[in-house]
Amino acid sequence: MAEFVWHAVSPLQHSFTPGRMGETADAAGVRMAEIRNFNLVQIFARRGQWSAVAKAAKAHFGVEAPTRPQAVSGKAGVLLWSGPDQLSALTARRGDEIRPLDALRDRFAGIASLSDQSDGRCLLRISGARARDMLAKVSSVDLDAAVFPVGAAAATAIDHTAANLWREADAADGSPVFKLLVFSSFADSLWDTLVDAAAEYGIEVESPAGL
Amino acid sequence: MRIACPFCGERENGEFTYLGDAKPQRPAMVALDAGVGASGEQEAFYDYVYLRDNVAGEMSEYWYHGGGCRSWLVVQRNTMTHEISSVKAAAGTGAAAVKASARS
Amino acid sequence: MTVYQPNRLDKGGLIDRSTPLDFTFDGKHLTGFAGDTLASALVANGVTLVGRSFKYHRPRGILTAGSEEPNALVELRSGNRREANTKATTTELYYGLEAQSQNRWPSLAFDVMSVNQLFSPIFVAGFYYKTFMWPAKFWEKLYEPAIRRAAGLGRPSGLADPDHYEKAWAHCDVLVVGSGASGLAAALAAGRTGARTILAEEDSRAGGRLLSDQGEIDGVSARDWVEGALAELASLPNVRLMTRTAVFGVYDGGTYGALERVNDHVPVPPRHQVRQRLWRIVAKRCVVAAGAVERPIVFSGNDRPGVMMASAVRTYIDRFAARPGRNLAVFANNDDAWKTVEAAHRAGIGIAAVVDVRKELTQAQRTLAQAAGFPVLNGVIHDVHGGAKGVSGIEVQLASGKRETIAADCLAMSGGWNPAVGLSSHHRGRPKWREDIAAFVPGDDIPAGMVVAGAANGAFSLDACLREGHEAGAAAAAGSGGRKAAGNAAVAANPDDALSIAPVWHVEGKHKAFVDFQHDVTASDVALAQREGFESVEHLKRYTTLGMATDQGKNSNVTGLAIMAEVSGRSIPQTGTTIYRPPQVPVAIGALAGHNRDEKFHAARQAPSNHWAAERGAPFVDTGLWKRAQWYPLPGENDWLTSVNREVVTVRNGVGFCDVSTLGKIDVMGPDAGTFLDRVYINLFSTLAVGKARYGLMLRDDGIVMDDGTTSRLAEDHYFMTTTTAKAGPVMQYLEYCRQVLWPELDVQLTSCTDQWATFSVAGPKSRDLLRNIVDPAEDLSNEGFPFMGVREVPLRGGMYARLFRISFSGEMAFEISVPARYGDALARNLMIAGEPFGVIPYGTEALGVMRIEKGHVAGPELNGTTTADDLGLGKMASKKKDFVGRVMATREALVAPDRQVVVGIKPVDKARRLRSGAHIIPKGAIVGPDTDQGYVTSVCHSPMLGQWVGLGLVERGRERFGEIVRAHDPLRGEDYDVEICNPVFYDPEGGRQRG
Repeated sequence: MAEFVWHAVSPLQHSFTPGRMGETADAAGVRMAEIRNFNLVQIFARRGQWSAVAKAAKAHFGVEAPTRPQAVSGKAGVLLWSGPDQLSALTARRGDEIRPLDALRDRFAGIASLSDQSDGRCLLRISGARARDMLAKVSSVDLDAAVFPVGAAAATAIDHTAANLWREADAADGSPVFKLLVFSSFADSLWDTLVDAAAEYGIEVESPAGL
Repeated sequence: MRIACPFCGERENGEFTYLGDAKPQRPAMVALDAGVGASGEQEAFYDYVYLRDNVAGEMSEYWYHGGGCRSWLVVQRNTMTHEISSVKAAAGTGAAAVKASARS
Repeated sequence: MTVYQPNRLDKGGLIDRSTPLDFTFDGKHLTGFAGDTLASALVANGVTLVGRSFKYHRPRGILTAGSEEPNALVELRSGNRREANTKATTTELYYGLEAQSQNRWPSLAFDVMSVNQLFSPIFVAGFYYKTFMWPAKFWEKLYEPAIRRAAGLGRPSGLADPDHYEKAWAHCDVLVVGSGASGLAAALAAGRTGARTILAEEDSRAGGRLLSDQGEIDGVSARDWVEGALAELASLPNVRLMTRTAVFGVYDGGTYGALERVNDHVPVPPRHQVRQRLWRIVAKRCVVAAGAVERPIVFSGNDRPGVMMASAVRTYIDRFAARPGRNLAVFANNDDAWKTVEAAHRAGIGIAAVVDVRKELTQAQRTLAQAAGFPVLNGVIHDVHGGAKGVSGIEVQLASGKRETIAADCLAMSGGWNPAVGLSSHHRGRPKWREDIAAFVPGDDIPAGMVVAGAANGAFSLDACLREGHEAGAAAAAGSGGRKAAGNAAVAANPDDALSIAPVWHVEGKHKAFVDFQHDVTASDVALAQREGFESVEHLKRYTTLGMATDQGKNSNVTGLAIMAEVSGRSIPQTGTTIYRPPQVPVAIGALAGHNRDEKFHAARQAPSNHWAAERGAPFVDTGLWKRAQWYPLPGENDWLTSVNREVVTVRNGVGFCDVSTLGKIDVMGPDAGTFLDRVYINLFSTLAVGKARYGLMLRDDGIVMDDGTTSRLAEDHYFMTTTTAKAGPVMQYLEYCRQVLWPELDVQLTSCTDQWATFSVAGPKSRDLLRNIVDPAEDLSNEGFPFMGVREVPLRGGMYARLFRISFSGEMAFEISVPARYGDALARNLMIAGEPFGVIPYGTEALGVMRIEKGHVAGPELNGTTTADDLGLGKMASKKKDFVGRVMATREALVAPDRQVVVGIKPVDKARRLRSGAHIIPKGAIVGPDTDQGYVTSVCHSPMLGQWVGLGLVERGRERFGEIVRAHDPLRGEDYDVEICNPVFYDPEGGRQRG
């Protein structure tokens, strides 16, 4: 029997090739990139255990666990508020690690229920001078710089599909940077929707990157 | 219509799913040691499953923030004006913040 | 080819004479200028006849200069971009514009159907109701087609719209609707405080009436003041000006609908751009400064081409430098119309006469009349002379009793102004009547967060508009949290130019006098409605169709109800108004759909192996939102049945695999997870051993089956639930309801993990052999080592791990194997390698369906929201040891009645016959009817194992009737044939194969 090879395939593997899309007259108003090679673990605190979970999360990830819609970034990754009692821990994947729960089980034993979502979501980075204009076509959330500051997060819906959206530190040119986490099975379809929304501003599709 | 989710803030109603009147209480689960339930339980369930007031005015309703944080909410809404006077999380929503000793 | 424009004034106007634009109207080549509307270009070219009316096919011209236009509707563009009923008055002129007049045949000037006018006595109000009530089939076959040919407006293109539309959200503190004097003042006041402000203007250019009317503000001309205001707004980063954007509706919670006509002013939208964009604007406060609409007076001949609203005449002269006539007559009941007289005189247009119903003139008016040398007649218009192409003169009924005829080629009329109360009444608000201006103004019950300013509020002087706008803008900004000062209000030079009006609605005359121009409703129709008892305004509207055309009666409703008040002897407030509802202006369905059309109608879900399946030529089928491979054709297979039969036979004799990742998957975790599942399933789960799976059935609280699936216990406090593909979302929502609302005392956590896992069913007698090739050889996969309904994690060769479940939907020995979704594609490829020695094939949803029907497994068509557990043959699963959702109501009399329709097998008596689902089951010898209908066929397939079609059905007392021959009656397809009721398990009824 031949040896088996396990190639990971992103849900967006066949959806795009890096380069310009949409209007090309001027510099791209929107930059889009798929972020690959991340682990995503849903940490769901058990009854009455929120403070114990927050403490364990701080000890493990080195950042304060958000108690409201926020994304807190630290060296180890991002702790994202994803619902009452719930955190999503987003960290870089080492190699082709396939069991991210193993490293967390002891830490959260008895205080939280853990669920691996590393393959259940697809992560996008959306930036550029027109990123807000483009997102206004797909998101009902007010993303004004003052209302939705760096670190703000929203559990929301895009094209009637659940998504998590948060804002990270602005790019060097001052333009905003957003991260968008969508369900893997919807990723290909939502990618098309995002491209349609951004086409008039010109899109630079960047090569897939790590976290 | 916009609903102020106690966790997420104000959101458009497309993120929410409506269930209905929050007043009827489901009869409690019972022990079935003898293999049958109590007498009169069908009437109680008939009320719970089918009978609803057609309220013109203030009404408390269940809404689900499925396009957001997946919380079940109790929304106090005026059915005549769509004015929302309060939005609260359901009893078991955010239970991790409840002290462990409060567990029944 | 630039065409001479006979009625273009030599100077003035907000047009760019250096940019001539050629266009065609009914094929005739004409030229206008940049800045023109189609209507102003037609006026400049001397075109007065632009369309035929709806019912009587009367010749009609341009009446207004705005979005209230009832007459000048054209078909714009051609081919698949042809758009019917487009208002010439709001269509920006562009190079190459093509417009066609509507509702005429064979030509606009000679229209055969204008013969309808001769029969007009029978076309009165209620005509359709009275004439075509009986017999019904005449209506369908004869009357309606004939009327549709004769009446109606423009023609749709009949082709798919090639352009794109989209929707977007905007958020602000203050939304200002309208950019006239009040709107600009409001936006300035709000913007200066730092409040996020959106100023929405439906025109291509901000300024409102200030673009058409003369005036002086803060010491400069009105137009210069507009430019200054716009420059200041542009300098404020918190202010956004949205032109070509009409706010059409007010929705709950401060949400406003607006339509941006992004590229309606060009022939074809530029690449990557939409034609229109639908905005949902969320505003903490809203200032409605939407102005007012001038209303006609109802008199004989008031619809002739060449009769125009006085304000529109002024707009064409001052804004567009286009002359609606050379010898203008004016008929007015108020002072505002005199501004038109001034404008015309200034432009060098002759004034034939001013007919004013009021006796007293102001000093300024007398001076003007003297200087310009025109007569001012105290009286009313008795009739308008002229033909299809325009006015030749007016017949005046003087107050003195005499009649006088005066030559004129254009008649400007003004019956006063109606504040635009639409938006402020969208929450069922009732406007209130103001006697002093003879108009309805917004009432006290306007939507929360809204304030109305300027002409929309009944303030008609420029100074009042500026003041009200400023105050409203400042108050709205303060109410929304604005901090800085709003600055000072602008001041107009003439503070006291209030409207003096003597309301005259209707003048008796010899010919038809129109109230609603677009629907051809006359003053006598209103009177007839009153005589026949349709006095309420809502009845008046429906009986006469007043205000029901595309203009929604913007310039006719108030006049119609005023006439109703007159004839019924009531006051106008007593008569009241109809309800106002969105949309305030027509909105294309394409804009409402936005991005979601054709293949983008909804977001689609892709299963992990879909790309691989597409490589193999599989067609895909929509299963809810999912795209699933339907079958995998081999070279030479040209019809689906051949492929599906082969797939079924191969699985039953060897091995195959199918992507079942679409099944809903939910992690049910926490110390009380077992108790939780005991409550939602009818059978026990708390006793399930770790490493085991169990089939579970859920009921609703009314006792009907909700969903089914296999749930496994992976750890003491971790169950892994699967649901059907269709119900994954609803079940998750329901379980969250149970957790958060019904049983807050349970410590249980739920997380959907449908997308986390790629899951394949590996089925067939050789499935274990295949798995032995890919699973780590140390793993014991024997019947003892991995029994039926066993579950565990196993390492795979090549450095992977999988969850392996020994469960079967096909009735064969089968496993479900799951790997993290990013390896789903690799798993499909590797299963092909591992199964190569056994002739493995992939199979699709069709073969999956065939095998479940052969085994009598129920699915969506049987779990249809009407069936109980017992109907499905699963009643015995219900635990008697514990309570569960649906237990109580499932015992209701009707749900346990012996004559319920239950799941059975159905096979045709003629084995060659094809079965069809949906056929009704009728006993032999019975007459077909609802009384003898005993059920229906729910699922069918061609079974290659039995060599015939078989099906499942829901049939009364079915389980007692195995062997009985009944009729399958299918009126939809015109079929009627005999079938046998049988055991639903057609294949391997003992179930030996799946236990291996």
